Amino acid sequence: MRNRVLLISAVAWVFLFAGTQFSAGVESSVAAASESHSHHASSASLLKMNPPASWAIEWLLMLAAMMAPTLITPLWYIRVRNFARRRLRSSALFVFGYAAVWMTVGALVLAAETGLKLLHVQSFWPAATLAMIALVWQTSPAKQRCLNRCHAHGSFAAFGASADLDALRFGISHGVWCVGSCWALMLFPMLLPLGHVAAMAAVSTLVFSERLERPTPPGWRFRGLGKATRIVLAQTARLCKGLRLVAEQKD
Amino acid sequence: MPTYTRTNAWNNGGTFNNPILLWYAKGVGVMQSRQLNDTSSWWFFAAIHGQRIGQSASFPDWTTLPSPPQVRTAPPPSQSDKDLYWDQCQHQTWYFAPWHRGYLLALEQQVRAAIISLGGPADWALPYWNYFGPNNQFQMPPAFAEQDLPNNGGPNPLYVKARYGPDFSGNIFVPLQFVNQDCMTNDLFTGDDAVTPPPGFGGPQTNPLFSHFGGTSGNLENNPHNLVHGFVGGRTQQGARGLMSNPLTAGLDPIFYLHHSNIDRMWAAWNITSMQSNPTDNAWLQGPPSNGERKFAMPLPGGGSWVYTPSQMSDLGQLDYTYDDLQAPAPSVAPLMERLVRLGVLEDEAARAAEGVAPMITGKQIELLGASPKALKLEANGARTMVKLDSKVRRKVSASLLDAAETKNPDRVFLELENVRGQGDADVLNVYVNLPPGARPDNHPELLAGSAGLFGVSKASEPDDEHGGEGLNFVMDITKIIDEMHLRNALETDSLDISVVPYQPIDESADITVGRVNIYRKGD
Repeated sequence: MRNRVLLISAVAWVFLFAGTQFSAGVESSVAAASESHSHHASSASLLKMNPPASWAIEWLLMLAAMMAPTLITPLWYIRVRNFARRRLRSSALFVFGYAAVWMTVGALVLAAETGLKLLHVQSFWPAATLAMIALVWQTSPAKQRCLNRCHAHGSFAAFGASADLDALRFGISHGVWCVGSCWALMLFPMLLPLGHVAAMAAVSTLVFSERLERPTPPGWRFRGLGKATRIVLAQTARLCKGLRLVAEQKD
Repeated sequence: MPTYTRTNAWNNGGTFNNPILLWYAKGVGVMQSRQLNDTSSWWFFAAIHGQRIGQSASFPDWTTLPSPPQVRTAPPPSQSDKDLYWDQCQHQTWYFAPWHRGYLLALEQQVRAAIISLGGPADWALPYWNYFGPNNQFQMPPAFAEQDLPNNGGPNPLYVKARYGPDFSGNIFVPLQFVNQDCMTNDLFTGDDAVTPPPGFGGPQTNPLFSHFGGTSGNLENNPHNLVHGFVGGRTQQGARGLMSNPLTAGLDPIFYLHHSNIDRMWAAWNITSMQSNPTDNAWLQGPPSNGERKFAMPLPGGGSWVYTPSQMSDLGQLDYTYDDLQAPAPSVAPLMERLVRLGVLEDEAARAAEGVAPMITGKQIELLGASPKALKLEANGARTMVKLDSKVRRKVSASLLDAAETKNPDRVFLELENVRGQGDADVLNVYVNLPPGARPDNHPELLAGSAGLFGVSKASEPDDEHGGEGLNFVMDITKIIDEMHLRNALETDSLDISVVPYQPIDESADITVGRVNIYRKGD
């Protein structure tokens, strides 16, 4: 299951790297809007160049790429808590509920992004402002509360329509806490005039690293890469030790 | 020969006629005279296991505890000392046994140093309370119930007021009809097989990347460890909780260390006498730092710090101590053969002939077989629920039992209490399968699936605790009960009747709930 989810994420990343037309389209349309000095015309132009369906696909790809690895734990939970014949169905309902929350948020984010870009064409100011907000949010007790709730799963029904409803409900609640935890981080790469994918990769690493941490009492603190860094260092030290032993044996 | 030998606290009747206990009391007294911020104080060491100080006006906050002991809650240590040492206890993980071994060694060094400073024996070692011992050793050694030391020696530092026992009376004993040494016949530290119910003798592997579920104690930790904590700490009928019942206060009670000395002795016996192996995975050997988590660190007498890993905890010889008794119950011989005899597949003679052969591999597929419809709220006398079985999966189990053969092993079946939440850390829940209506549970030990000690449940129920508020899980092997149903042609059923019966009526404020009762099959 874990490998399948990681594969989905990897494929989505490939599409994101390859399909830069959306970003390029937005940038070119924004540039056109800037030249025309007409916001009304610019919005129309933007919508024409980037119809909602295209936005939705882009956002879904982002979700799949960035968030799928964080869903491994709840999906594993659904797997072991369901009858074998229901696993796929419950997993699908969970993902649907989760994605529905993010898609709703995504519509708002994309609208805000478009608006901001119209006001500050090719500017780093929106991203810089949001980076400041994200920094404050990242260190806040509220963020920790959301992160803690991302580890919750509760119990759900195993039979009938109740099981379907509970899987959907679990997806929605997980999505809500995930949005609470990651909204600022997700918005940040969207507002950059360039370097979207690189910023998304950085944010994605941060989001995944945060989930590795155990729930902890809320408080003001820097959080994010600590545990992930320690894991990487520990594994690197172990690898180096292994290589050194092999080299010594050869000598 | 190791320098230090841990001996039975019940020697010389478990009274202060046992000099080991008298010196323990005096050493504890020295440590209790120190301030909270002294890394060699009794209070600091208790906080290494777990603490709650000045955060609330109710139990388990240390500011609310009755005396004796007069718990010191100030002055606070430096933040760096707190970060390095406090709140380290390892539960519901495969680090349970090695972390506690290091913790005991560190505490023992501190007590010994205090004893030596009083002119006591330089080879003093922590005694153990073997509640499985003969005669009345299931009772707490009497020295711990004395309010004063002999010969007008002043208050007894081993005496604790908030130690209420299984029946609310202050009579401290371990009910051996529920507390057992079954884990000693396990042959896997982590995992499960024909003789080892999940998650194994030592506890579940803590997955560094994708799992924070945990919440399930290893078999040694669940029974006897958790149950003894609940039974010894206990509570009053007015709802006051005993120190031993909660991980945030347990280290304050001197009996804690004798209980853990016995748990440590059982692990040693499992390794040495039963010749069972500890994990060889790097993640276990190197401990939590290999997963990016805190290292195990203990303060040394006179200052300084000792950092250790599970790999350093495996060999008692290297640690320079031993126990005077490392006996272990004999492991089951050819358990699968026994089961096949029970199921009528093999004759006794054939099973005897097969004794000593390597255990056959059992199926590894785990699958949900049934689940209760909704969460259970436990009333004073517990709760009862029908666990509906999935007919297709049940037929798989029946088929595997019918097809059982020397070369084809039948399914095993487990019951799980999932997401147990509440405030009843001292409560012990006994779980029965198909208990006849109106029947006394005590009269049906053959229907007892297992016992669950809720030690740590209140902490695990806090949304911002490391468990994320998901509570605890308990897994019980009900294969034998299912086999009996099969033999009585009673397995063709749509449901199992599960009774959760508390050892003592549950206090309303305990607010215990069970998220779901699950039945799993494991096989091909």
